[in-house]
Amino acid sequence: MDKLHPNDAFELGNQFRDTAMALGDWRIGNRAILTKAQWDELDEQEIRLLNMASRIYTCAVDLVLLDSQVAVVQLRSSVKAARYAVQHIATLKEALDLASALILFAAAVSSGNVATIPAAIVAVNDAAAAILQQQGQGSEGA
Amino acid sequence: MPRPVHIGRVFFRVFAISLVAVAVSGCANFDAVKKFATLSSNAANHAALTRDYIAALDRRKQYQPSVFHAELEAQKTRREAQQASLDVLQQTVVGYMRGLGELTTGEIRTFDKSLKDLGGSLNKATLLTSDEKEAIGALSTLLARRATAIYRQNEIKKLIRDGNQPLQEIIKATRKIVTRGIYADLQVESTVVARYYDNFMLAPGNPMEPVAMALAREAKIEALGRVDSRIKDAQAYDVVLEKIAHGQQYLHEHVNMVGDEALNEQFSPYMEELRYAYRNLLEIAR
Repeated sequence: MDKLHPNDAFELGNQFRDTAMALGDWRIGNRAILTKAQWDELDEQEIRLLNMASRIYTCAVDLVLLDSQVAVVQLRSSVKAARYAVQHIATLKEALDLASALILFAAAVSSGNVATIPAAIVAVNDAAAAILQQQGQGSEGA
Repeated sequence: MPRPVHIGRVFFRVFAISLVAVAVSGCANFDAVKKFATLSSNAANHAALTRDYIAALDRRKQYQPSVFHAELEAQKTRREAQQASLDVLQQTVVGYMRGLGELTTGEIRTFDKSLKDLGGSLNKATLLTSDEKEAIGALSTLLARRATAIYRQNEIKKLIRDGNQPLQEIIKATRKIVTRGIYADLQVESTVVARYYDNFMLAPGNPMEPVAMALAREAKIEALGRVDSRIKDAQAYDVVLEKIAHGQQYLHEHVNMVGDEALNEQFSPYMEELRYAYRNLLEIAR
């Protein structure tokens, strides 16, 4: 297990921020099919993700994460997979599932509780995979 | 009375030799280092940026539902705990530059003491004429100044040599915090602000009232403009730090030229760049 360097933490913060922005774009792009309640629910998840990004920046500045034992490569690839998946979200449920998994993941990273990170990675990967699988089936069906 | 005549001959021989030595060695010129140190100590001092980084969480509250305020408050507390460390980074750069600046201008106490002691001895030297005493005093001052200059030159060189690596590391760390932490966090703030107004204008079921929409658009532009100013401030401070690091590195690489007048000219492009960067920072921060 590599140590999480502040550079990696900053990068992770960037990825959370960018993912939140991508979710926001999806929400606005799909506003015609969303109810007010759905819109608000997704909006709250975006705020959570943005706050998580800030929290991770704060952690990185503080070098709190310097000694955290986490797999940097895994962290990066999982968030990247989530970002890729955002581009293929078809339903609100997928958007919410992905956002929830990311929030769980960010919380695990910023808490420094290494034991919770693997499960959080799995959740993000699952949510991303479900979206891509759904997309694949949609393409086949079409 | 042969004794005063003997002292006078010896004295004037020494005087002549010393005068030539002083003239040949010339006067050390620390202008380049002095100006750089003074400007750098002022430019590196930007405590407002740290305060702004902490205050960001309070600003964000107005754009987020109250359910998130406790979390923002907790983050603010965490940043407040970082303030002293962040200030130390800045103050270390400022302190180094002030120390460097003081070396280029300050009097050295050791030599002050020698001069005072010499003054006392001269008063007791009853066998010298007053003209001779005056001449000895003048020469001693010249020699002491030169000796002081050499001492200062060595100290300046030593400080530049020894201080370069830690200073470069401190500046690098500060720049990383500014660009990758503070700047990136301000981008989050920008997104939070934009999201807030977009929600008002685009949320399902919101009446598309033209006047309200126009006001919201205007408010959004203003709010984003304020965040943008903060982003520019962080970027400008980063450039200032970069220029300080470049200048310091140049001095380090040409440390043997410290005291040499030719350094002034060679160093002037670095000074110009730093001056320009600092002016830009001041204009943005105004």
